[in-house]
Amino acid sequence: MLFLQLLQGGVQTGALYALTAAGFALIFGATRIFHFAHGAAFTLAGYAFLMAWNAGWPWPLGALAAIAVAVLFGVAIEQLVYRPIGRHEGGFFTVFVAAFGVSIVVQNLVGMIAGRGFAVIDTPLSRATEVLPDLWIAPVFYVAIGVSALLFLALSLFLTRSHAGVALRALAQNPDLIRTYGLSSTRLSILAFALGSALAAPAAILTGMTVGLNEAMGHHVMLISMAATIVGGVGNLKGAALAGLLLGIAESVALAFVEPQWAEAVSFVVLFGFILFRPSGLFGVAVAR
Amino acid sequence: MIAYLANLATIVAIFGILASTLNVAIGHAGIFSVAHAVFFGLGAYAGAQTAMLLVPDPLLALLVAALIAGGLSLCLALPALRVRGEYFVAASLGLQMVATTLFSELKPLTGGIGGLVGIPRPELFGVTITALPLALATLALILLATHLLARGSFGRTLRAIRDAESAAEALGKHVAVAKTLAVAFACAGAGMAGALFAFHMAFVNVESFTLDQSVLVMAMVIVGGTGTLWGPLLGAALLLALPAGLSFLPFIPPTEVGAVQQILYGLAMTLLMIFRPAGLVGDLGRGKVAH
Repeated sequence: MLFLQLLQGGVQTGALYALTAAGFALIFGATRIFHFAHGAAFTLAGYAFLMAWNAGWPWPLGALAAIAVAVLFGVAIEQLVYRPIGRHEGGFFTVFVAAFGVSIVVQNLVGMIAGRGFAVIDTPLSRATEVLPDLWIAPVFYVAIGVSALLFLALSLFLTRSHAGVALRALAQNPDLIRTYGLSSTRLSILAFALGSALAAPAAILTGMTVGLNEAMGHHVMLISMAATIVGGVGNLKGAALAGLLLGIAESVALAFVEPQWAEAVSFVVLFGFILFRPSGLFGVAVAR
Repeated sequence: MIAYLANLATIVAIFGILASTLNVAIGHAGIFSVAHAVFFGLGAYAGAQTAMLLVPDPLLALLVAALIAGGLSLCLALPALRVRGEYFVAASLGLQMVATTLFSELKPLTGGIGGLVGIPRPELFGVTITALPLALATLALILLATHLLARGSFGRTLRAIRDAESAAEALGKHVAVAKTLAVAFACAGAGMAGALFAFHMAFVNVESFTLDQSVLVMAMVIVGGTGTLWGPLLGAALLLALPAGLSFLPFIPPTEVGAVQQILYGLAMTLLMIFRPAGLVGDLGRGKVAH
């Protein structure tokens, strides 16, 4: 039963990783920007909800506030950081360093304002009941899975059925052609950042209800999203989401065999192996070196 | 006051070595490693164990540290040969995270979170000395080596690979060999810095070898100017003087000094990348660091 319990925890974590990773993959796929500050959007959204909840706001308002904060952050960083760097043709490392700087600033600002250490969003949803002998499940488990599945459905419908979604996929393939057709690549990359960052908000809120928030968690979230994007195959949203889910499960199920301290290392051993032996990822086409 | 300044000078020299060697990888070879603290740590543990188990001879400790860090640099060279750009950054991040776990869990070798305590003072020819002259001498050697390397044919090969790998290969340059050697040099240098750090602090634990430290060293290189000789040293001095400078400002509560310092690092990194991507010493006309 320990195994089932770990599997349940892994699926729950994995579903939330999948949401964050899909956001990162959407941004990276469409704009080719390695958005290392994606974790900061996650942290900001989580704390926005936490503050709203503690101030007694009803949860839909809090969730809206969290999404608004994440979207604002994503659009602001696109406009204020990535665009100026892109204008003088900065390389990917310039972008990476600038984004890392932003995430350090956000982490410490959040720590100063909201306090350091773990903070759990305490709701009736996080109270676990015994479903099977020795298997404890909290209602938030079903919520996490339902929300993730629903958002994925919505996202894939948007990307395949709506004009903006098709344009976003086109941007990923050929930005020059997009301009030829009279679409604005600037507006589309803002859309990619807004959508990608918005996906981090529900994941952050639900993480706050399950394992709790901490001002430094953006780093971990970011590293997992990056790992999932690469393991899943760059440019493949479904791959990234599936890899996020698998990494969450691997991290949790590994606890049956190794000490908890090793859980994080498991994800990175997987990532390292993929980069060495299959850099194109699970579903990716072979990429140019 | 003298002791304080000597301590600061030793630390600046040690981080100067770290930043200068990382600069060889980033600035010359275009290998954007975010795992430099791993090799700093390997050298520190190797040097500390040599001094504690064998003799506190700093030259031997430096040699062992350089050999172990240089040898294990293959862990970084392998992905550097396979992938580039974002993928390599991701691989080095993965290496850094795994190494941090290893450092805190392999207790017989590293002492775990508690670290290694009671590292003896270095003794050269029977005389006990401080780490300062050693650090300065090593720094001078590393700077000299970097300077010669940058001017020589090997440096030109590296820069050719950085700017156009396929073209360099087409001209008959051994890309794999050159990359491996550059990584080995950078990592061996970081290992020496680690051994010096262990002698200086007389105590090492995993907290000095985390991702944050790697990013700090990276920030030093970038703030100073990638690909320049003096830039990384200047960056190291500036970023290390920052906490000392901040603690003199009366209006920041002492509990928040660390956070304010981190925020300033972060802001400096972001603003520099937007307005001066080539760094403080870097060529003004050069807009980009690499492709």
